[in-house]
Amino acid sequence: MGALISNELKILHEMASDFALQELAPKWEHNDEYPFKPLYTDVLKKAYETGFFAVMMPEEQGGFNKSIKALCIVLNDICRIDASLGGTIFTNALVQELMTNAGETDLLSSLVSKASSFEDILVAFPSFDNPEDIKIKARAKKGKDNKYVLNGSTDYIALGGIAKQILIPVVIDGQDEYSLFMVSTNQPGVQCSKPVVSIGLHACPAVDMSFRDTQAVLVGKEKDGKKYFDSAADRMSVASAAMAAGVVRGSFNVALDYSKQRTQGGREIRNWSVVRMMLSSMAVNLQCADLAISSASSMVDEQESGWQLASRAVDLFVTEMACDVTSVGIQVLGGNGYMHDYSQEKGFRDARQIQALMGMVPMRKLAYIKRIIE
Amino acid sequence: MIKVERQKELLMREPRFDDINCSLLSIPKLPHAMIKDTRIAVALARKFNDEVVRPRALELDLKLMEDPDYLPSDLVEEANRWGFFTLWEPKLFGGKGLSIPSFSSFTEELASVCVGIANLVSVHYLGMATLISTWNMRLINKLLRETVKGEKTGIPCIISMGITEPNAGSDVLEVELLNKSNTAFRAEKVKGGYVLNGMKHFISNGHHSTWFAVFAYEELKRAGDTIVVLAVKKGTKGFSLGRMERKMGQKACAASELIFEDCFVADEYVCFSPEQAKKLKLPIQKSNQQLVETLGAASRPGVGSFGTGVARGAYEEALKFASETEISGKLLINHEWAQFMLGEMYKNVILARLAYVEGNYASGLYGTYKILQMKPIYYISKYTPQIFFDIFISPFLNFSIMTWLFRKINFDWWPENFKELTTGLSAVPKIACTDLGIKNCQLAMEMMGRAGLRHDARVEKHLRDSKLLQIYEGTNEMCRLNLFKALIARSVSGVSMFEE
Repeated sequence: MGALISNELKILHEMASDFALQELAPKWEHNDEYPFKPLYTDVLKKAYETGFFAVMMPEEQGGFNKSIKALCIVLNDICRIDASLGGTIFTNALVQELMTNAGETDLLSSLVSKASSFEDILVAFPSFDNPEDIKIKARAKKGKDNKYVLNGSTDYIALGGIAKQILIPVVIDGQDEYSLFMVSTNQPGVQCSKPVVSIGLHACPAVDMSFRDTQAVLVGKEKDGKKYFDSAADRMSVASAAMAAGVVRGSFNVALDYSKQRTQGGREIRNWSVVRMMLSSMAVNLQCADLAISSASSMVDEQESGWQLASRAVDLFVTEMACDVTSVGIQVLGGNGYMHDYSQEKGFRDARQIQALMGMVPMRKLAYIKRIIE
Repeated sequence: MIKVERQKELLMREPRFDDINCSLLSIPKLPHAMIKDTRIAVALARKFNDEVVRPRALELDLKLMEDPDYLPSDLVEEANRWGFFTLWEPKLFGGKGLSIPSFSSFTEELASVCVGIANLVSVHYLGMATLISTWNMRLINKLLRETVKGEKTGIPCIISMGITEPNAGSDVLEVELLNKSNTAFRAEKVKGGYVLNGMKHFISNGHHSTWFAVFAYEELKRAGDTIVVLAVKKGTKGFSLGRMERKMGQKACAASELIFEDCFVADEYVCFSPEQAKKLKLPIQKSNQQLVETLGAASRPGVGSFGTGVARGAYEEALKFASETEISGKLLINHEWAQFMLGEMYKNVILARLAYVEGNYASGLYGTYKILQMKPIYYISKYTPQIFFDIFISPFLNFSIMTWLFRKINFDWWPENFKELTTGLSAVPKIACTDLGIKNCQLAMEMMGRAGLRHDARVEKHLRDSKLLQIYEGTNEMCRLNLFKALIARSVSGVSMFEE
């Protein structure tokens, strides 16, 4: 992502890189064992203290004034080493986008400024869904006092079980369109499953939750959930691509290092032209992804014409590429690439998980072309 | 009409008629009862899937994520009770003698539910294939009969193959590369046997097996010219098991380290050695290359059937999901794009199956089990009471002349083009089926979105499991080079390989 880095963001890049190397690199293998081992709360605490959960906030709240480029830099650097933390930062940033789009900037500012721990600042959200595509099982009823009561369930809420607040799509009785609601998790009637075991991003936990007569606060206006989500997804898509590119960078770095150390048939494997072709394919894809992300994130921040389509196209392209290229990353290492001792297999799994962010790929592709056709 | 000589010439042009028509050439020669064998194998696999694999696969996978040192020995015992470790052992050696191609159909079924358990059940036959590749009839008979005994006693006696080392992987199946490799597994000839030193790793079922068919080398600098294959029993002094690898998938099937420290193996357990190879007419390097190629040719269509199974498993999970899940207000199965993707996945399964079936036809025509599929031999074997083999034939297998004879047939007298065909046509299903397996898993996961990420949806496990198929039994990259060497290089002048 070199081209993406301007002077003012260089410090952020160095900070994220240092954090990844110092806090994530020594223990990525251990951290990936969640939920069978404890969650890396020490890392989450340091990430909170470093300000990674407020990158999208205004400057006075420690953020970078909604700069998607800043978010892309952080996500890319973090995901080179361990994409789980990237998933956590992404989900939280997506929530902040949704709240901003819903006009809830005061609520968001209050949430961030009053936070004294990562559990306070993080807000859980089903970030692997586009709520429009799925059948929403959480229903709300409006009481006489204008308060809302929830019943039903929501599957696969990322950061559920950690965050004290969740943001979920809910259908209000008598309506077809969904609305967004904020729910405090420490109230009766909220039930949380065990962490769902998933293919990747193990340390970005997800849970299924159910609600029984649960108090909830409407975020924005009724029936406007789709509007908020679509706008947020337009901006956040390129951030998802930056995560995937980070994973690919990590995979490429490991493959390149390994190719210099491993010998087969009397030659370093980097001198096998078959291996060089594989490394070349990884490098070319990576370079193109970096350039695409750099360009698209600039378009998003500058609100250039067509930035929404650019952001979404880069996401679809880079996340799909990452799934293929991380597979090559394993292949360069052969049997070793398949083992937990190297991070290649983790990259392969994480790339697949990242590709599913914000909804099913085919539905996202159809939504993309719909904007062009119609 | 074309004259016979001219027709011959035309049909020998690339692609050669015989190379691309294995099924056509094979089918008339095959015993009809092989169909029954295959029906039995598939039905057994489906029953085993219903009763054992499907109820246990996810739970076991989770258990092994939590405790990577857990050994599912009960599953090995269960497979032993079901008779799976002798089902494809020839009756000559005490087994049940089901036709070998039916093994692929069996493994496709198991792999469609869990590739890890499929491997746990079937990799014993890789051990058997290693022994058979040496054609040491006495040791084949001894070890396979111990498996039969293990089935009767209820104490599994299965065989693992050990060839991969920490610093030698892709180069161990090419003698030319082996001579330049970093292999460190030494077999030092001493009076009465060999002393082994070194380590093997990634050995499937290592922690479950009783016997190990291990590749070692008299001279490490000339490993390709000095291959020694030895049968080593668990518990032999100087032989111990190391750690089990932490794999991304196929967790049910342990991948073990084997550690040899001054481990003495007596001459009677030497399956193949340079001294024995000298008795063949073939130059030693050629006989060694044939040994490893025979092994690859026997095992790779089996990996192809795993790939086909996983392609099918992913398709079946996607179909189930699409039939039950509403997306944007209507069942996913009624979205045209989903129907298209399911059609693509179904096509991939069919293509994969055709590839391994064709590979099996090639092996039946030109490979190791050609003899077993000759109609008279097949039917004599099938309908002769087992006791006849046990009492009247088995003792003869201990005579060295039997090993001499089988080696003459399978090394010295085996036509060169047969070797090329089996090597090349076994690489094709290995590559094609395993790539299609991955492809279908990817399509299924894209189609299922967030739901497919979950362990309990099964499809992410298929993806994790299937990735190993592109690696073991020769990476798909090495398989492509093997394919080039076997079937393409022969018709092009000036080809050199592994000389960059």
